[in-house]
Amino acid sequence: MSKFIKAAVASSVLAASVMGASAAQAATATAEARANILEELTVTKVAGTDLDFGTIITTGTAEVVTVDTSGVRATCTSVICSGTSDAADFTVSGSNGAAVQLTVPASVTLNGPGGAIMNATLISTALTALDASGNGSFSVGGALSVASAQADGAYSNTFTVTVDYN
Amino acid sequence: MDVVSSLVTLFRHSVLRGDARETACPDDQYKPEKKMTIRGLRRLYRTCVGLGLAATALVLPTLPAQAAGDLLVAPTRVVLDGRRGAEVILNNIGSETATYRISLELRRMTTEGRLVDVSPEEANELERAATEMVRYAPRRVTLPPNQPQAIRLGIRTPQNLADGEYRVHLLFRAVPKAVPVTQQDQEAKGFSIALTPIYGVTIPVIIRQGKLTATAAIANARIEEGAEGKTFAFDLSRTGNRSTYGEIRVVKQGHDEPLLMVRGIAVYPEVNGRKVSLPVPAEVAAQLKGPLSIEYYEPQNIGGGLIAKTDLVLR
Repeated sequence: MSKFIKAAVASSVLAASVMGASAAQAATATAEARANILEELTVTKVAGTDLDFGTIITTGTAEVVTVDTSGVRATCTSVICSGTSDAADFTVSGSNGAAVQLTVPASVTLNGPGGAIMNATLISTALTALDASGNGSFSVGGALSVASAQADGAYSNTFTVTVDYN
Repeated sequence: MDVVSSLVTLFRHSVLRGDARETACPDDQYKPEKKMTIRGLRRLYRTCVGLGLAATALVLPTLPAQAAGDLLVAPTRVVLDGRRGAEVILNNIGSETATYRISLELRRMTTEGRLVDVSPEEANELERAATEMVRYAPRRVTLPPNQPQAIRLGIRTPQNLADGEYRVHLLFRAVPKAVPVTQQDQEAKGFSIALTPIYGVTIPVIIRQGKLTATAAIANARIEEGAEGKTFAFDLSRTGNRSTYGEIRVVKQGHDEPLLMVRGIAVYPEVNGRKVSLPVPAEVAAQLKGPLSIEYYEPQNIGGGLIAKTDLVLR
């Protein structure tokens, strides 16, 4: 259905431009019709996916809480982990077989209440080229370093992920 | 039919761009059709399908919900000379209004073929010159869903600019909405974490000054075992004063269809060569031995000429 609509939209534009072209040809003898292929690239985040460590309750012992790129949280031994965890999932589309590069920062510092901070390292699945239909995807997980005396509260920050074309 | 009229407008833009492209690449063998030929129609169709993607979302009443900040950028590479500018289309393909920021980044290629970020303080003379030459607008734009915006690009070349290739990378990314700090129940112990990804796209903007040439060569093809499986790797070397860009085809002797194909492989002037590493799907791995050729072609839209080719026997 989507293909049909695309074709319909395309053909209506095509019709419009062909009509435009023939009108132009009627007016001048040397009209030209040209189009440039615009190779495109899209990046979308899969709705409802975010890098989420769930809820963590400190117990006075430091621990690194890890969420892998499939969103699974490793068993917590020292701190108490509850709630669901998730990785951030992205889809990329463009020209078939196009080489792409992901740039994901190695680590990010989260800012919490009263100047408290927490460090997280980020891990991403590999994506080096789009497939034969021009699609690709990647996921970002992370490892959160919870200090033994980590202050309670809300911690937040952003990190920048880019898809780079050669 | 707003959709169609906006697409027609876009189409006109791309026609204008077609004009600009012809003169923008004096060393490319791009020859526009003088008449509407079948090939022209096919190109037109592909262009329209590409641009039509945006319209699809408007036409289809039920689409999967998408996150704010999703984006489409076209084209994925811009080559400029001193005379003409170019346009890059940015489209909001998310389901909510989003604000996008467009900025200039510096990236340097490594011999591994990766583009690494270069901070403004680390920039060398070439990179500083490139940053100062490029003019673009708008730099910040708020777009409702499925609303495309053309970002105009131009360059102001200083007098006595040394011949060479200059490059910046244009970064398009969404500005995240201010997330209200959600206060957890004060009773509960523990903390909440909000790590918001800002995601974007970078495309190279290349400025060529003077008559520049480059050649490439392929050597040292091998199979490598990595964490993600088998890869087919080789060294792609470059000589001359500009970058090379094109697609790689790995063809088994006696076959027409390439076993492996990857588009958009560049070797930038800051390196004399780079490693190219192609993931090998399981179904191809068994065939990837014996007499093979590795071919490096220019993209179809600038002539599709052969840049380099090597025959080899892989054991």
